[in-house]
Amino acid sequence: MDATARLIELLGVDRVRTEPIDRMVYAKDSGVTAGEPAIVVLPETTAEVAAVVRIAAAFDMPIVARGAGTGLAGGAVACPGALLVVLTRMNQIVMVDEVGRTALVGPGLINLDLSHALVGRNLHFAPDPSSQQASTIGGNAATNAGGPHCLAEGSTVAHVLGVEVVSADGEILMLGGAAPDPPGYDLRGLMVGSEGTLGIVTQLLVRLTENPPQTVTMLIAFDDINDAARTGSDIIGAGLVPAALEMMDHEMIVAIENFVSAGLPVEADAVLLAEVVGHADGVAEEAGVIRSIAVRNRATDVRVASDEDERALLWKGRKSAFGAIAQAAPDYYLNDTVVPRTRFVDVLGEIYAIADRYGIRLMNVFHAGDGNLHPLVSYDASQPGMTDIVVEAAHEMVCVAVAAGGTLSGEHGIGLEKRDLMDQVFTDVDLDAQARISQAFDPARRMNPGKVLPDGARCFDRPSS
Amino acid sequence: MAWVTDWAPTADELNSCIDCGLCLPACPTFRLTGDESASPRGRIAAMRAVAGGRAPLDGRFAEIMDLCLQCRACETACPSLVPFGRMMEGARGEVAAHRPDAPTIGRRVLFGRLIGSRVLVALASAAVGLAQRAGLASVGSGPLRKAAALRPIPIPVPTAAGREWLPDGTPIGTVALLSGCVMDAWYSQTHIAVIQVLRTAGYRVVAPPNQTCCGALAAHEGAVYDAARLAERNAEAFEGYDRIVVDSAGCSAHMKGYRHWADGGAKVADRVVDANEFVAQLLTEGLLPVIEGDVPIGIQDPCHLRHAQRIVEAPRAILGAAGCVPIEIDPAGMCCGAAGAYQLTHPDVSDQLGRIKADQIAGAGVAVVASPNPGCEMQLRAHVPPDVEVVHPIEVYWDKIK
Ligand SMILES: Cc1cc2nc3c(=O)[nH]c(=O)nc-3n(C[C@H](O)[C@H](O)[C@H](O)COP(=O)(O)OP(=O)(O)OC[C@H]3O[C@@H](n4cnc5c(N)ncnc54)[C@H](O)[C@@H]3O)c2cc1C
Ligand code: SF4
Ligand code: SF4
Repeated sequence: MDATARLIELLGVDRVRTEPIDRMVYAKDSGVTAGEPAIVVLPETTAEVAAVVRIAAAFDMPIVARGAGTGLAGGAVACPGALLVVLTRMNQIVMVDEVGRTALVGPGLINLDLSHALVGRNLHFAPDPSSQQASTIGGNAATNAGGPHCLAEGSTVAHVLGVEVVSADGEILMLGGAAPDPPGYDLRGLMVGSEGTLGIVTQLLVRLTENPPQTVTMLIAFDDINDAARTGSDIIGAGLVPAALEMMDHEMIVAIENFVSAGLPVEADAVLLAEVVGHADGVAEEAGVIRSIAVRNRATDVRVASDEDERALLWKGRKSAFGAIAQAAPDYYLNDTVVPRTRFVDVLGEIYAIADRYGIRLMNVFHAGDGNLHPLVSYDASQPGMTDIVVEAAHEMVCVAVAAGGTLSGEHGIGLEKRDLMDQVFTDVDLDAQARISQAFDPARRMNPGKVLPDGARCFDRPSS
Repeated sequence: MAWVTDWAPTADELNSCIDCGLCLPACPTFRLTGDESASPRGRIAAMRAVAGGRAPLDGRFAEIMDLCLQCRACETACPSLVPFGRMMEGARGEVAAHRPDAPTIGRRVLFGRLIGSRVLVALASAAVGLAQRAGLASVGSGPLRKAAALRPIPIPVPTAAGREWLPDGTPIGTVALLSGCVMDAWYSQTHIAVIQVLRTAGYRVVAPPNQTCCGALAAHEGAVYDAARLAERNAEAFEGYDRIVVDSAGCSAHMKGYRHWADGGAKVADRVVDANEFVAQLLTEGLLPVIEGDVPIGIQDPCHLRHAQRIVEAPRAILGAAGCVPIEIDPAGMCCGAAGAYQLTHPDVSDQLGRIKADQIAGAGVAVVASPNPGCEMQLRAHVPPDVEVVHPIEVYWDKIK
């Protein structure tokens, strides 16, 4: 029996896909690279995942895990001959412990669905990547996703207490747990952010966060983007840790407003979206400090969301930013660099200068609080040579950030797209240490091979569409 | 393989999707299956594969397109403003053109040709009406059970086309009414309520004689040439009216897209208003009475009102003016599974969605649900317990003010 027959025997014909068009449908995530899997499977239980992994091992097939496929780094893009394990059907909420503030969930559960299920219990799941309405908690853990509110709450790794993992040889491991400091190595921490290269996460014990008693959301407009950047930098410099501090430039505001009609100031050169949470007194005081810093930096308007609906609308706008850019041009390339706060204003200027030099269109929407820049190039890949120009410009932007003491990826992961830039931030010794970890978990390099660590020949192509 | 019809998804349309995936959770078929090929982004990827000659337009492609409810919830969710509904109609047209003898041919003939004939719709409706009287429908399952969920069909089957209704005083204006195909035969009470409300506001209502079925069902099935023919005929029939009132959401949504279907289509499209939208506007203009009250009533949004036309407030405002307090049953506005012919072609998916909706209604604890679309009304009635009443907001309002 071949691998397909074995898989069909295990899962039934509906949950095993081999038709060419099905393989094409699963060829991409939200990034720019593509690669068709040989077979796609949709398991529903940990036991099924383990059995699937053992079948793949028996036939020496590489294995790639996939959540919702909203990754921006090609992490869930299959390498040739791969078995793609789609985890969306494992989306149960197994248990919610309101007292201990934890939930046990399947990896395919959509991030926002968990918080929706907690409405009325005064709890939520804190990591809020802008893709949270679509991305899975398993995918969030695998990429250690960040989001606007991770400025104060920490990224996904701070909210995953334990994971159940199917290893490369089909064993089921339990890593971490509810205890605050489990003995031994922190393998849970290692698993979070490993982008499917160390195993497949099949269940997660996540931390739930109490809803803040009071929230103030402010939208601050500026006539000059440098004033906005300086305001962001000054707010953090003043020792405040707002729950979120996001910046959008002019082009971005226009595109977002087209979609949400939230009354955004489309004439502004940049806006800051700031949110402070806590008890009423503290919140009012912090909001006051932010307002005065903004005014000192020549803010032209400070709008405070008057109710929950307006607040939700402003966030909906912020979180649709990546999607809205397609109104400008059909393709995008997104960087995810982090720069130190003190160099923020300079690096931003240099990045716009690079865009000008290459004659490409840049839109910016980013986490101003922690210096996580997302310069977004919107372009038309059907113009000959355009993709190469964009990739070159984007790499130059990364180099500027790294030269300023920053790093490659704030939150989207390394995957395929940034793999070959790893040597910009890591020494050979660092990379060797990482390679040994992967070796220890996956000696055959079966799990998502070719991702994260730069080795071997590139086996991927840009989409031909 | 190249596309062969004028309605195929265009390169610009296909390029407008950037694969962000934000539409996935809004899609009912993705929700039920977790399968990318049952998601908007996956369907677009499949269209691209065929458009680019990388995949054949085969049975599997047809199946992927066919499972889509055409609810257009993905459009509401899409920050890139991808015109998914338009593309899906085009893709279905291509399936029909490449696979003329596919099993879906029956549907295309039914919705493309027969439904345009008032005589045939009347005959078929009379047959269902007789079956209802004979009590057959109550014992059946599947389509027969659905027939039981229909309103009793009057015999002889009425039609609005070619008639005109005057207000009590001097008319403040004239509006044209789409009499529709099944609406005409099966939902004449809805027509009556709409006409009476418009008369009350002071309008003369005319149902132009030469009009025909709007062509939505044909377009949804990929019967593109029939859809174009029907649109052209209506473009002529509605010539000269500055406002065309349409009281079925599926039809109003489709007619607002006539620019894709007929040469003079854009002109008609710009003058089409959904009846809910129009009545709500008349209420804000103070042309209609407002009744005070606090009767709780569940509200269900038809996809072609909420997603295709982004009309959300209007039916709530009408219920409010009828002395009711609208209770939300589904903040996400997920499809109830009716989706035109879908309930007949994919009864399993349709029933799963119908049951979810019925659970939401039970969860909201309401005894009455309002749904401003006939297809949804029938679907809801087939799934809620018998003690839950399903009504139309404009009929509720007319009942209160008459
Ligand atoms: C519009 C938009 C906005 C975004 N905003 C943000 C943001 O603010 N912050 C941010 O950090 N990211 C953001 N992203 C990127 C992306 O959404 C995140 O990386 C997200 O965590 C990916 O989740 P997913 O379920 O889509 O995973 P996928 O894309 O399917 O997979 C991502 C990686 O995780 C691995 N993986 C998935 N599930 C498992 C599993 N169960 N076990 C092991 N490995 C697994 C895959 O192999 C792959 O390497 C955004 C993306 C989009 C399109
Ligand atoms: S129209 Fe409805 S069913 Fe079809 S892809 Fe969009 S959301 Fe899904
Ligand atoms: S939301 Fe729009 S752009 Fe994003 S994947 Fe869906 S259709 Fe494409």
